[in-house]
Amino acid sequence: MPGFTSTDQIIAALAAGQTYRANWGKNANPTAAAVANEWHTLFRGAGNPGADALFNTGTNLLFQAVKDNTTSAGTIQHGGAVQPTAYKYLLSGSAVSAAATVVPGTLALVDVVGFYRVTSVTTATAQSTTNTLGQSDTFSADAGTDTCTWTSTANYPSNILTGTRVRLTTTTTLPAGLALATDYYVIRASDSTFKLATSYANAIAGTAINITDAGTGTHTVSWLLPRYTNGAGLEAIAFNSNATAMGAATPNLSLGYTNSTQTASRATPTVLPIGKTAASNSHILYTGATGTGKYNYAMPKQAGDAGYAQVDTIQNSVSYVSGEYTVALVRELAQFPLSTLGLAAEQNFLFGTPSLPRVYDGAALYWLWGSGVATPASSAFSGYLSFVWG
Amino acid sequence: MTIRNTRDVIDAEVDGRTRRSEWVKNVNQVTTAGVWYDLTGSSGNPRAKQWFDAAPLTAQRIAQSTDGGIFHGADVAGDGFTKYLREVRVGCASATPLPMTIHVMDYLLYYPSIEDGTTDPQVMDNTLTLPRYTDGAGVQMMAVTVASRTGGQSFSVSYTNSDGVAGRTSRTVTQNAVASPGTITTSATATQGGADPFIGLQAGDSGVRSVESVTMNGADTGFFALVLVRPLATLMVRGIDAPYEKDLLLLGNELPRIHDDAYLSAIALPNGSLSGLAVRGSLQAIWG
Repeated sequence: MPGFTSTDQIIAALAAGQTYRANWGKNANPTAAAVANEWHTLFRGAGNPGADALFNTGTNLLFQAVKDNTTSAGTIQHGGAVQPTAYKYLLSGSAVSAAATVVPGTLALVDVVGFYRVTSVTTATAQSTTNTLGQSDTFSADAGTDTCTWTSTANYPSNILTGTRVRLTTTTTLPAGLALATDYYVIRASDSTFKLATSYANAIAGTAINITDAGTGTHTVSWLLPRYTNGAGLEAIAFNSNATAMGAATPNLSLGYTNSTQTASRATPTVLPIGKTAASNSHILYTGATGTGKYNYAMPKQAGDAGYAQVDTIQNSVSYVSGEYTVALVRELAQFPLSTLGLAAEQNFLFGTPSLPRVYDGAALYWLWGSGVATPASSAFSGYLSFVWG
Repeated sequence: MTIRNTRDVIDAEVDGRTRRSEWVKNVNQVTTAGVWYDLTGSSGNPRAKQWFDAAPLTAQRIAQSTDGGIFHGADVAGDGFTKYLREVRVGCASATPLPMTIHVMDYLLYYPSIEDGTTDPQVMDNTLTLPRYTDGAGVQMMAVTVASRTGGQSFSVSYTNSDGVAGRTSRTVTQNAVASPGTITTSATATQGGADPFIGLQAGDSGVRSVESVTMNGADTGFFALVLVRPLATLMVRGIDAPYEKDLLLLGNELPRIHDDAYLSAIALPNGSLSGLAVRGSLQAIWG
């Protein structure tokens, strides 16, 4: 059984070398200082991992998944894939800055699941996104138990969670009881097996579709999100992903989305985030000094929602004039508050509640920086992250 | 036999299967704030080890038995034990270089005399392979200055990753203009591409098994060595009144393995020059 149930098991895993240590050094945005109380991504900053060359590429409004091996992604490595024989966790870590002009502030470690690039920033109406189900792996079906078994693992199907919306294709004939071009919802049985339900509610209830034969040919399941696949716990951030500043405008920013219970037509609540005029590279657009329309790094969600299964529309209420921005779906794993020059923020995640943040296969780890004071361009941060699996 | 649980850790210490080693490095080079520096070449205890004492571009193994390093005790595998790093401490009696981050590492293999003056690919001789962490898992590359340069030129490294896939290409890294031997040539926190001592790997890679070639993108004077290391622990010294001491297992949930014959040394990221200063530390190993 993957995972840990005791401290002794963790010690045994450490002693057996089932661990990876990622030393990281990362600079803040090289082109502009951060104003106090703003949040910025460190994606484009220099260092190791190097600057991304990803988040301002690709088709406008198309969802693009991000993994640790995505070309030009510049993610912090965590030791490769370990599932399904083991689960990986963030065990401990540290962060420090030696610049007095940087502290205090907060580093947030996030897993970036994917993003939508928005180049059509002069459009002031809600723009529909494209959510092609880009993750897929093959399966076989057992008519006796209604259970499906993964027969390929290219996209880490062991990451799939109950309630994830999927669609099916086949080279010949799908198992009887299943149809093409139809939404199904996964009932996760194990890392290697699953069942299918006709609705999210049925998936949660464990009510599986009756499969009456195995079909013929090779069958494929496709889904959208590479991790946190039902969207639970995901936050959305909108940031300037380009090297140039946004144009002069202060638009309201809003999303239409499907939440993690797979309910569509959800929306950013009434008091909308307001984008900063001429927001610099890496700036999370609606963060900054307190006031109406200013938020933490996460876009606010409709009341009661706990995540994003997909973003359906993106809107800036007036033309942003120029530039481009990106809406990314992220899951926060940890925060490292930096209080004092040279004083490392060291975290031991075993003793947190809940302890040991899970790091899924393919996780794309990045830093967000919440500035407590003005942060000069290219300010340097460094530290390490320690992972364990078993 | 290996450590399996908390009781085994306690038993190792109660039974005397532990060793504490003090170390000191006296730095005589002028180091630069925000630029990583390899303490290995500095005098002290352990003695200095340089990275130019072998045939150019030919992989050389590094080991305690032949090269020294911070002493961590004799080999234990023959007795059926495995050794681990249990506790670390470091301090500096001058405020000039502080705060300062230090990585304690197992130095594995080096490729000497890589020339800045040619843009031809410089192909390595890998007759000798990694002596420890033989698959390369978690092994990183760092470029250490041997002879000074003007700076500003960039290079990339072709390597075999820890999955055994050859032909992987590192990120292109830019060299700094710091002249002191021992400087990590690609580090400089304030400049593009240089905030870390290790050379960034191709996306998805987390370790290096061997280096195939290095290609300079522009000629310069000088030489450097590529050293393959496995980081074991990170220490962060804030002030002269506060040596950094860490029980790795209790405070960090870490129990890094020290292989038999491992060569342990350290690199530092000072906030000012270390010239004329001593960096002192200790480590405790246990085996069980």
